[in-house]
Amino acid sequence: MTISEETLMAYADGELDAATRASIEAAMQEDPEIAKRVARHRALREAMQGAFSGVLEEPVPERLIAAARGQSSAPKGALVDLAREAARRKTSPRPRRWQPAALAASLALGVGLGFLAWHGPSGLIQPGSGGGLVANAALAEILSSQLSDDRSPARVAVAHLSFRSKSGDYCRTFSLTGSGSGLACREGSDWKIKALAESPRAATNSGNFRTAASEDSPAIRAAVEASIDGEPLDHTGEVAARQAGWAAAKR
Amino acid sequence: MSTIESVQNVQEQIVALLPRLRRFARYLVRNPHDADDVVQIAVERALQRLDQWRSDARLDSWLFKIVRNAWIDEVRARGRRAKIFMPEEAGEQIGETPIEREIDRWSAETALGRLPEDQRLAVSLVLVEGLSYKDAAEVLEVPLGTLTSRLARGREALQAMLRLPEGESS
Repeated sequence: MTISEETLMAYADGELDAATRASIEAAMQEDPEIAKRVARHRALREAMQGAFSGVLEEPVPERLIAAARGQSSAPKGALVDLAREAARRKTSPRPRRWQPAALAASLALGVGLGFLAWHGPSGLIQPGSGGGLVANAALAEILSSQLSDDRSPARVAVAHLSFRSKSGDYCRTFSLTGSGSGLACREGSDWKIKALAESPRAATNSGNFRTAASEDSPAIRAAVEASIDGEPLDHTGEVAARQAGWAAAKR
Repeated sequence: MSTIESVQNVQEQIVALLPRLRRFARYLVRNPHDADDVVQIAVERALQRLDQWRSDARLDSWLFKIVRNAWIDEVRARGRRAKIFMPEEAGEQIGETPIEREIDRWSAETALGRLPEDQRLAVSLVLVEGLSYKDAAEVLEVPLGTLTSRLARGREALQAMLRLPEGESS
């Protein structure tokens, strides 16, 4: 009896119907060579089962868990994501309706008094001299110096993304340890706060939240998309902007 | 169950599948951080398209398919061919010393990494992830016959590389 290798493989993989299975089993009884070929397929199956099992033991990054729960945004440092997101939105409107909690937790600037009060102790955001809100010295230092692809451990805040706004200012998104994310634009010598959003997780679990969220919230991304001119800055663009002190381009 | 509850339920099922999605992405992308990026994009997409998931279909194969498509889109969009799984380099990364490297040389992972992509994915889905031929063919969007022939060729190549004891008779 001649049996093709593919049939024996399918037998070892449990893919055959009962009748074919029975005929293979009969053939294995009769012909030790066929039994040996099946054993080879089974041994390979066993050997492959352990492949890449190391990754299964690793802790899953928080950002992926957040993404699976609908609380996510672009991966940190992935500077082209925004463009891709925009292109994607053109083809399919983004129905984020399954995450009303995240949207409800987003605070527009001006409604953010509670947010500010809550933020009192850290004081990273404070009223500016000319009205509105500005980054304090510590946050401003991070916005002015930290590049978006810097993967060093989070400090009180993390800068994520830089871009040129339609009015020519440099703007950056950031997240604050344990509380939320925001968008700030460099105007004169200040980083002016343009938008703030409380992070969904911080809203429910602020006490145990140790590291800054590594992503921008949907509300902040929406604010970015509303004001961005062209593409986010790449590494080289950020270095150049930083060297120029994030001074607005005259146009 | 309300819609919100069922969505949350699926979200938690996706959370539980994340380790396997990450593993699957590593068959596609060499750099672990990039692999996780692909998983994240895929998961976000999956949530947007939950209405396209038939609850009688396996959630894992549906997600594998989205991971694969997200990866294809990423490759096209970013032109990052250099970062795609490179079998030779993967071999170099395994083991700390030359001796360990030699010992690990023909480990299942390395051998898998040396297969052409078509065969690697077929073998991964069926032998590592335990999908049926039919589900694996659906993930890869190929006819069943194509899947089985890729699988057969992949297995043959692996047998030759791994030299499993049972395989020495022929």
